[in-house]
Amino acid sequence: MLSVLICDDSMVARKQVAKCLPQDLDVNIHFAKHGEEALDAIASGKGQLLLLDLNMPVMDGYETLKNIQDHELSVKTIVISGDIQPEAAERVANLGALDFIKKPVNAEELSEKLTEHGFLCDEPQIDEALDELPEEIRDCYQEISNVAMGQAGDHLARIMNVFVELPIPNVNLIEVSELHMMLSDIDSHESISGVCQGFLGDGISGEALCILSDSSFTDIARILQVNEHMDDQMQLELLMDAASLLIGTCLRGIANQLDMHFRQGHPVVLGQHQSVDELIKSNKSAWKKTLAIELSYGLEGFNVQCDLVLLFTEESMDMMNSKLSHLLED
Amino acid sequence: MATSNVDQDTLNELLEFHWMMDMIQTVDVGIVVLNRNSEVKVWNGFMEAHSGMLPSDVRDKNINDLFPDITTNWLSQKLKPVFELRTRAFITWEQRPYVFKFRNYRPITSAAPFMYQNVVFSPLVSATGTVDNVCMMIYDMTDAASAKKQLLELQVRANEASENEASEGAN
Repeated sequence: MLSVLICDDSMVARKQVAKCLPQDLDVNIHFAKHGEEALDAIASGKGQLLLLDLNMPVMDGYETLKNIQDHELSVKTIVISGDIQPEAAERVANLGALDFIKKPVNAEELSEKLTEHGFLCDEPQIDEALDELPEEIRDCYQEISNVAMGQAGDHLARIMNVFVELPIPNVNLIEVSELHMMLSDIDSHESISGVCQGFLGDGISGEALCILSDSSFTDIARILQVNEHMDDQMQLELLMDAASLLIGTCLRGIANQLDMHFRQGHPVVLGQHQSVDELIKSNKSAWKKTLAIELSYGLEGFNVQCDLVLLFTEESMDMMNSKLSHLLED
Repeated sequence: MATSNVDQDTLNELLEFHWMMDMIQTVDVGIVVLNRNSEVKVWNGFMEAHSGMLPSDVRDKNINDLFPDITTNWLSQKLKPVFELRTRAFITWEQRPYVFKFRNYRPITSAAPFMYQNVVFSPLVSATGTVDNVCMMIYDMTDAASAKKQLLELQVRANEASENEASEGAN
């Protein structure tokens, strides 16, 4: 999902820009009234794409762009402004803006620009990340995730008597800001609960995140044959059960292929009782990039949506690559 | 000569086994081993001290009978994947403050009415490769739980205070 931040001091302009976004685009829209608000929103992970006005109180568009450039924020910016002098376009381009659209904006032009800059093909940031992860290594990770998934799916199917729709694992190198974005979505989205759990072994370490949509709970209770009254505590209990199962089976599948064992720490509840922002803020500088394996599980005939994300630290990758070297050889 | 070496080795192994058992007895984590019928096979010093039940009181008895709070249904729900999939099962104090109702470790300086617990169920693989027993580890989380509850209380109070201020400002 693309997260779009619209920054304009005029409410009418903000609404108009939002209306002009392509209807079929899967977006999360956030608003800011001036540059400072926009930077705050970006810092909390809201906005992969910034649609920015130039003339605003408190902090104008130029200053905002300068700030983004100075702090090397990963947000992409398209300026939408009534100031159509050639110099304005040139100045914002120098400050790192991708493009310049003049007001009033219309849907056709905006969609053209979004296509031009790759926002309309699916998940542009993944394409970028792929460049950084060599194709054969990515293939390799995808393959072991596939096998682990298959084993995990088989286990789940047997214990719960359901058909597990096996996802295609999504393997990427992601940055802190992207994870932050992902997690703050969990936090802001009321109807999602999450659990994270650390694991390590043989110089490989990481964390598993298990994210469950709250609408899944009724069906999960049915599958696990829990008939008690559904309250917050019961939901947490089901979440922990589902997370233990998913994380446990998947990690075991991966560990088996790497010929090793992972130790698992105690899971920590995200979202329900803890602010995700707080949780990440405390170790923001500790790492830059992480290998993320994303798996979306579904159960046939049930309304259950569950995402499992395995995050491996950057240091772990050397060790993993060497353990996988037998798969990389021809 | 050869026989006495073997004897010495056996003796060393026995001695090693002895201090290892001592370690399991004294570690400040609760250790309970259950078989497939939920009967207690191991009950370490932590469990003995906090429950007041001797290993001889609980050995081969069903855990559901010993602790009626732990329902058969709930327990078998947790144990099923551990036995069958060999994955660990985790329970946090947030979902269930305790599995075994024990008194607070620090009755004088801590206000918590009971011991908050994190519990892990871990499969024990036998020499023949089957899982016939499950190990329960019980961690005392009272300090962490109290700290977290205090923090939440403070946050709620701070929010209320700022809301009050805002509404007074509006008037």
